[in-house]
Amino acid sequence: MMFKPKIIGFICNWSLPTEVDLASTSRIHGYPKIRVVRVMCVGRIDPVIVLETFAKGADGVLIIGCHPPDCHYIEGNLQAERKIKMLKKLISQTGLEPERLRLDWAYASEVERFAKIIDDFRNQVTTLGQSPLAVEKADKNILAGIMAAKAVAGDSRLRTLVGREKTLVEEENVYGEKVGQEEFDKVMDESIDAEYVRSRIYLLVKDKSMSVEWLAKHLGLDPKKVLRHIVVLRQRGLVALDRIEGDDPLYIALEVI
Amino acid sequence: MTVTSHAFKKKRKLPPCSAACPAGVNVQGYIALLQQGKFKASVELIRKSMPFPAICGRVCFSPCQDACSRKKIDQPVGIRYLKRLAADIEREQERIKVDPIPKTHSEKVAIVGAGPAGLSAACELAKLGYPVTVFERMSEPGGMMRYGIPDHRLQKYVVANEIAYIQDLGVEIKTGVEFGKDVQLDTLRNEGYDAIFIANGAQLSRKLGIPGEDSEGVFHAVEFLRHVSLGKTVDVGEKVAVIGGGNSAIDAACMSLRLGAKEVTVLYRRSRNEMPALPHEIEAAKEEGIKFHFLVAPKQIIGEGGRIKLIECLRMELGELDASGRRRPVPIQGSEHTYDVDTVIAAIGQLPETSCLPSVILDERARAISVDPLTLETKIPGVFAGGDIIAGPASIIEAVAAGKRAAVSIDRYLNGEDLRTRREEEIEETTWVKDWEKMTKKPERYAALHVDIGRQKVSFEKADELLAKTKEVAMLEARRCLECASCTECLEGEGLCEVDKAFVDETLCTGCNLCAVVCPIGAIKKNEMGIAQVDEDLCKGCGTCSASCPARAIIMRPFTDAQIVTNVVAALRREFT
Repeated sequence: MMFKPKIIGFICNWSLPTEVDLASTSRIHGYPKIRVVRVMCVGRIDPVIVLETFAKGADGVLIIGCHPPDCHYIEGNLQAERKIKMLKKLISQTGLEPERLRLDWAYASEVERFAKIIDDFRNQVTTLGQSPLAVEKADKNILAGIMAAKAVAGDSRLRTLVGREKTLVEEENVYGEKVGQEEFDKVMDESIDAEYVRSRIYLLVKDKSMSVEWLAKHLGLDPKKVLRHIVVLRQRGLVALDRIEGDDPLYIALEVI
Repeated sequence: MTVTSHAFKKKRKLPPCSAACPAGVNVQGYIALLQQGKFKASVELIRKSMPFPAICGRVCFSPCQDACSRKKIDQPVGIRYLKRLAADIEREQERIKVDPIPKTHSEKVAIVGAGPAGLSAACELAKLGYPVTVFERMSEPGGMMRYGIPDHRLQKYVVANEIAYIQDLGVEIKTGVEFGKDVQLDTLRNEGYDAIFIANGAQLSRKLGIPGEDSEGVFHAVEFLRHVSLGKTVDVGEKVAVIGGGNSAIDAACMSLRLGAKEVTVLYRRSRNEMPALPHEIEAAKEEGIKFHFLVAPKQIIGEGGRIKLIECLRMELGELDASGRRRPVPIQGSEHTYDVDTVIAAIGQLPETSCLPSVILDERARAISVDPLTLETKIPGVFAGGDIIAGPASIIEAVAAGKRAAVSIDRYLNGEDLRTRREEEIEETTWVKDWEKMTKKPERYAALHVDIGRQKVSFEKADELLAKTKEVAMLEARRCLECASCTECLEGEGLCEVDKAFVDETLCTGCNLCAVVCPIGAIKKNEMGIAQVDEDLCKGCGTCSASCPARAIIMRPFTDAQIVTNVVAALRREFT
C-alpha cells in the first residue's frame, strides 16, 4: 500500500477556504490531503503545540495563514513566521527532519494556491516517509529530542527572543543602538543550541544521577561543553550534585517548583 | 456549542460603520464573513437587521462607508459594493430558503403601505411571531423602491425578490387596497387588528408654484417616475429640463434620456456642493451626457399652442445659511433668461398625502402625522406611524430604521409593556487603531467590483470566470477592513466561533511586558502591580500573546492549547475511507 502521510494543517480561520475545510472533514471528497485544525490566527500556534503534534505521530505539519500584510489581526502572521523560523532550527537539533514543517501564505479566495501548497507539501513529506515517531516503536532518541525541544520552546529564553525580535531588529534601544538581523540570528542560533542541550541534560538526569562523561557520550558532545552546561543548570537551580562515584561527580535534576 | 461574547454585549461598543447605520446593521460582521468568502452567511447576517441587502447594496447612501475608519488611511472599504455583490450571489446562486415563522401571538397587526418602512416593520413583527397584514394601494408592493427608483438604478426583480423573502417569512401583503377608501382606521380595528402602523410615505410631489405649472408637458418627478415604472409611455419630446438637485431629479433626468430625450438639463438653484443627490449618481448622470446648470431657479413656464416651449429662469446667488445648514439661494434681479424646452420635470421634493388620514392624528398644520419621536405612537393608542410620512422624504435605510422602531413599540404595546423605557441604547464608537500614520496603506479594489451578475452579455463560461474573479476581488476588498471593534459576532449563527479571549494567570506573570509588545492591537497593558492586563473590549482573540508569553501565563479561553492538542489528536485518529 502506498504511504499516505498524516498531515496536520493548522489553518487560520480567515484564510481557510470552505472547499478545503469540507475536503478535510467530510468523507465524500475521497481521501483527504490534510487534516485541518482550524485556529483563529496562525500567530496562535505555540511552538509547543507543533512539537506536541509531532510527538503524537503526525508525519507533517503545514501552517497556512494570510498573506502579509493582510492579517485579520494585523501582524499575527508575521509573529508566526518568527516562531516557525526558530522552531525549524530547534527541530533540526532533534534529529527529526525540519522539512516536515512548513509555513505558507494563502487567501481564502485562492483555492488553487491552497491545493498547490498542500500537494507540494504532501509530496515532500511522502518523500521523507513516515515520521520516526509515528511508527509502532518510535525512535527513542528523536522522541527524547522532541521532548527536550518542547521544554525549550515552552521556556522563557527562546520565547522572549522570538517575541522581542521585531523590536530588537527594527527599532533602536534606549541607547540608540540597533541590533542587526545577522547579530540577532547568531544569538538566536547559539541560544537554541545551548538551551536544547541543557534541556536534554536536564531530562536525562531527571530520574537517575549521571556523570558528565556519560552525558557527553550519550549526547555525542565534548565533555567540556557538557560541564559548562551543567554549571549553568546548577546556577539556575535546575541540577545539583547528587554524589560522587569513584572519581566522577554525578548530577541529578531538581524538581522545579 | 454555545457562544459567549462577553465584551461585545456588555457595553455595546460598535465599530463606526455599524454605529453610523440607522438600521444598526452589523457591518463589521458581514465584512468579516466576506473575507472568508461566506457570501450566503453574510447576507443572512444582514437580514438579521434589515430585509433589503440587495436594495441597499444598490441605492443606499451608505453612511457606513462614509464613517469607515480606513478613510483616515486611504479610502473607505467599499461596503456598499460588497453588500450588493453578496446579495446578488445569494439571489442568483446560493439562495437561502426560509420557512414561515410560526405565529406565536394571536394579536393581529395591520400595516399601511408596503414601502421600506412598512415592510421592515412587517418583517420584524413576523420574526416575533405576530400575524401581520400589509395593505398596499398600488398593484405591486415596494413603495418608492418599486415606483420611485428607476430600473437602471434598482431593478424591479431585485425589489420583488427581497419582498418575496418577507412574504416567505409569513407576512401577508394585500395589494390594490387604498387606505382611506377601501380600508379605514375604524374598519381595520373592527376586523380585529390590535395594532396599526401607518407608513404610506410621501407620495405627493411638491409644486413649483410658478405660472404655467399646470400646462401640458410639465411633470412632477414622483408621478413621472411612477408612470414609467407602471410601463406607461410618456412623451418627453427632445429637450427636457429637470428642476431640483435630489436623487429624484437625477433619476428623472436619466429616465428622460432613456425615454428618447436628446438634451436633458438639470436646473438647480444652489451650487453643486449643496446638491443632496448622491455624488456617484451625479457623476454617472454627467457621464450619460446630462447637463447641469447651477444657481438657476424657474420663474415661469411659457407655453405655445397647448404645449410648453420655454422656461424662464432667474440666476441666483448664495446668501446666509438657512435652517438646513445650507446657504440660501437669493435671486439676482433682472437676470431673467430662457431655455427652450419640450418638457419640464419638477423634482423639488415630496409631501405626505394626508387627505386619507383622520384629522385627529395629524399635526396642527395637517401636513403630517404627529407622533412621539421615540415610540412613533400617534395620539390614538395602538396606532403608530413612521417613515417618510413623519420625517418627510428621507432614505430607504432611515425608513427601515423607523419600521424597526415601530415594530419594537408595537411588540411592547401588544404585550402591555412600557413603550418608553430603555429605548435608546448607549452606543460607543470604538476603534483599536491609535496611530493612523503607521497603518499599512491598502488601496481600494472596488473599482473592479462593478459586475452585475447574470446581466452581462457574455458567454456562460465567461460569466463564470467573471464571477469567480469578482468574488476574489470582493474577498480581498473585505480584507481592507480594520476590524475596529473587538469581536464581530459574525459566526454566532453557525456556532463556529469560540470568541477567544486572552486571560492572564497572575500567579505566573513575571511582568516582562512581552505580551504588550507582541499584541498587534495594543490590548495588553501592565497594571500598577506590574502584572499584564488584557483589555477585554479590545482583545480580538488572535492568541499571539499566549503563544509568545515566556512564562506561559496567558491562556486563551475557551479555545485553550489543550483544546487545540485534543483537536490535533482527533484529526490524526480520523479514519477516511
